[in-house]
Amino acid sequence: MQGYFWFVGKRALQLLAVVFFGISATFFVTHLSPIDPVEQVLGRMTARANFAPEAIVAMRQALTEMYGTNEPLLSQYINFWLRLMRGDLGPSLLAFPTPAMALVMRALPWTLGLLITSTIITFVIGNLFGGLAGYAQDNKFFKAFGIVAMGLQPIPYYIVAFILLIIFGFLWPVLPISGGFAMNVTPGWNWTFVGSVLTHSILPALSLVLVGFGGWFIGMRALVSNVVTEDYVTYAELAGVERKTIVGGYVMRNALVPQFTALAMTLGGVFSGTVITEQVFNYPGMGSLLIDAVNAGDYSLVLAVSTVSVSAVALAIFIVDLLHPLLDPRVRAE
Amino acid sequence: MDRRSFLIGTTAIGALMAAGNGLAFAQDAAEGSAPDLAQFPRNETVIVHNPEGIIRNPAWFNLWVVGGGGGTSNGLHQLTTDTLWLIDPDAGVEGASENAVYNSLADGPWQYNDDFTEMTVKLKQGIAWSDGVDFTADDVVYTVEKQKATPGMPFNGAFSTQVASVEATDPYTVHFTLNAPNSRFHTLFSVRWTGAWIMPKHVFENVEDITSFPNNPPVSLGPYTLHSFDPNGTWYIWEKRPDWEKTALGMVGEPKPRFIIYRNNITTDNRLIEMRNGNLDMVHDLTPEGTFSIVQQDSQVQGWFPGFPYAHPDPTLVMAIFNHQNPKFQDKRVRWALALMLDARAMSMASYRGAATLSAISVPPTGTHPRDYHGPLQDFLINYEVDTGTRKVKPYDPTIGIQIADMVRPQFGESVPTDEAAIRNAFGYGWWKQDIAAAEELLTAAGFTKNGNQWMMPDGQPFSFSVMVPQEGVVNRLGTIIAQTWTQNGVQATAEVATDSWDRQRVGNYECNIAWAVETWGGHPDLSFFLDSYHSSYVVEPGQSQPDRNWMRWRDPRLDEIIEKIRGIDFNDPLGIEYGHEFVKLHLEEMPNIPIMAYNVFSIQSNRFWTGWPNAERPYANPVTNWSNGRYIFTQITPVTA
Repeated sequence: MQGYFWFVGKRALQLLAVVFFGISATFFVTHLSPIDPVEQVLGRMTARANFAPEAIVAMRQALTEMYGTNEPLLSQYINFWLRLMRGDLGPSLLAFPTPAMALVMRALPWTLGLLITSTIITFVIGNLFGGLAGYAQDNKFFKAFGIVAMGLQPIPYYIVAFILLIIFGFLWPVLPISGGFAMNVTPGWNWTFVGSVLTHSILPALSLVLVGFGGWFIGMRALVSNVVTEDYVTYAELAGVERKTIVGGYVMRNALVPQFTALAMTLGGVFSGTVITEQVFNYPGMGSLLIDAVNAGDYSLVLAVSTVSVSAVALAIFIVDLLHPLLDPRVRAE
Repeated sequence: MDRRSFLIGTTAIGALMAAGNGLAFAQDAAEGSAPDLAQFPRNETVIVHNPEGIIRNPAWFNLWVVGGGGGTSNGLHQLTTDTLWLIDPDAGVEGASENAVYNSLADGPWQYNDDFTEMTVKLKQGIAWSDGVDFTADDVVYTVEKQKATPGMPFNGAFSTQVASVEATDPYTVHFTLNAPNSRFHTLFSVRWTGAWIMPKHVFENVEDITSFPNNPPVSLGPYTLHSFDPNGTWYIWEKRPDWEKTALGMVGEPKPRFIIYRNNITTDNRLIEMRNGNLDMVHDLTPEGTFSIVQQDSQVQGWFPGFPYAHPDPTLVMAIFNHQNPKFQDKRVRWALALMLDARAMSMASYRGAATLSAISVPPTGTHPRDYHGPLQDFLINYEVDTGTRKVKPYDPTIGIQIADMVRPQFGESVPTDEAAIRNAFGYGWWKQDIAAAEELLTAAGFTKNGNQWMMPDGQPFSFSVMVPQEGVVNRLGTIIAQTWTQNGVQATAEVATDSWDRQRVGNYECNIAWAVETWGGHPDLSFFLDSYHSSYVVEPGQSQPDRNWMRWRDPRLDEIIEKIRGIDFNDPLGIEYGHEFVKLHLEEMPNIPIMAYNVFSIQSNRFWTGWPNAERPYANPVTNWSNGRYIFTQITPVTA
């Protein structure tokens, strides 16, 4: 057990190092970017009104002081870490003076709701059918399913999303194509709202599932194809063990270990959002928030999104590392 | 509990907590009470596409703070705000405006003293804020003094540098004393796209920190108030005030819709589908291809022109802008040579599929400008001569528009106009003939030599430069064809896609830039909106940030003289057009940038539920939905069914 704690300690230190370097890298990349948030705000203002040049100079000075962009980079970096220790990522420059984290927390639930759900659905369908297809390699249904999976998987995501949009938004307009919920419902814990959220998430989720399950299917089928040739499977079959026990308890379970690792990594990655899904279906989320932040030079917001994302990915890897010895008895902490 | 049950259980609990938190966030953010759609019969509701992306701070309605993250063209600045005057980019509503200028909160035009150091404004009486408080001169004085004293407010720079004092001489008269003579001071309160909106003093004087005040819900000076909005920032609903007649817009006419819904962050494909499905009445813009498709498929959809090219010409002029602080572009013969290498037909087809409105002069061919500039200067242009060093050529071709109309007619048939005047309005009055021989003579006269198909500069180096273009859209397409045409003719021009073109043009970090350095009022002939910033006193060293619009950093004492003459006359003085002609002629002589075409916007409207939209035959307003002048449209439309 002592060895396990030593293992956990080492992994925890790695986690902290990854988070520290990841966030620091993001800080310097955003702050060394040529996009100046002050100029962005000025650009939006002066492009559409008749300001005298002296007025623009005065405005630039006021904004620079307000945003604190005139401070030396090192001083900004130290202040950033001091604030982060207190859980404060500073005000968003895109929505000054609203805290950057408030914008992230507004978008995060939508991203998590859509992507975690669709990732899990994709994982379950892909692995279940992939496992069965790998075991029952002559089954016509699974062969056909494999063709569909391999046919859909290479299609670019935006094509699939666009086709769904045309079919269910225009040719047979039965599903909403825009937004997170309808205009005629009040957000809250009521069935009308929950139903509206679910209805609005069908097309975005379907598009992600259609494109995503093929990868899991193909991977799992290949893994199972290898596992079924193992001696212990042949022995179990010869010993008359029930087929469902062999498939569920011996074959799939062993093949799932690397798939679970991949699932954890994928779930960690969902914190960055899916930009194209959000754009095509006008769905709220982190992807477009990050794009807006980058375009506006809002490094507070970029850092807030990145901090959540880097921490989530690092934490997911950490958890997988910790769970591995528990999931797979062959893996030992030593 | 075994290991498997434990893992499943903890995963399930985690998922439930995440979902619960998610919905809780959504609930917390919901500021407005959501409406019942049954309240929105389509004969009482107009649905408008707002081109803004997701509004990141949706509950923010304080337009008097810079960069608050709230929406602007989500109905807020069209339906709830007001100021002294509005200037329409098109003709304006007949009888309610003069020379496209509306007296909005002002009861008449601006009144300056003789040397333009003081301005007096009489205000309309009988106007009230939506909470019932009367609008008076105190609101105007408060707006100026508060912004003057508060950094971070949008007009802080303008008022602190220009206003010495402001006072209410009576409840409906405001008197400004300026720091220096300024005959265009009133334009701060004249809305083209936006302007100095008047603040409700009785609301803001009780706010401790204005820069963190969300102003939710906003007290309105327009005929609509906030009904509800999306906590995720993609739609806003506004409802007509019962006392709408106590607003300046209401005094022009009753706004017909009871509800106006602004929807934003809609992709081009979604806009098409939503309009076909009856869920949008006004679309801000589409691609040329999207517009051609929907007007062919849906006879109820209209563009600005009744047929091809459909698009509304914005009072913005897209041009090839040369950096005059770069030695490569300091000889006007070189700039003229580059202009004569271009093929107007190729540029029009590549960028707008032929639906471009060309302009050879540095004034956009939009609003009332063809009446004041393009038409009167047509003979001058036809007879205009360029000395190539070898001979004199007349480069202007008044038939370019007709040629482009002929090119697109096989595809678009009867929708392409045949009448010469209609073609001029839609395709432009003319442009330069592509004349490679004249261009080569000009380059030779400037000391250039040709090595094979490559032009060499007088210093022996190849004549090569980058052409900065935006990431996408018609201007990107235009820049690409321009670079390609120059390359074909021996100039190594490389299209460079820049994500930060705005920042780079401001500090002069480019060689040639495809963008616009000219924007005008549109409906009014005064050119000061862009021209004032062309004064050489504002040109700074390379690398330093410069005021907008004179991106090319052009300096010329004759230009300064024209600008100073314009500064010395009133906005409405007819001499302004004469000085404008002087500017156009000087620009032609120097060709500091190459004017090409109006920034045409493919705005479309559906006549399915509402009709009476503005168009080229009845140009009372700009149909582009994000301009605050669009408010007048709501007084002119009527529901198709009662």
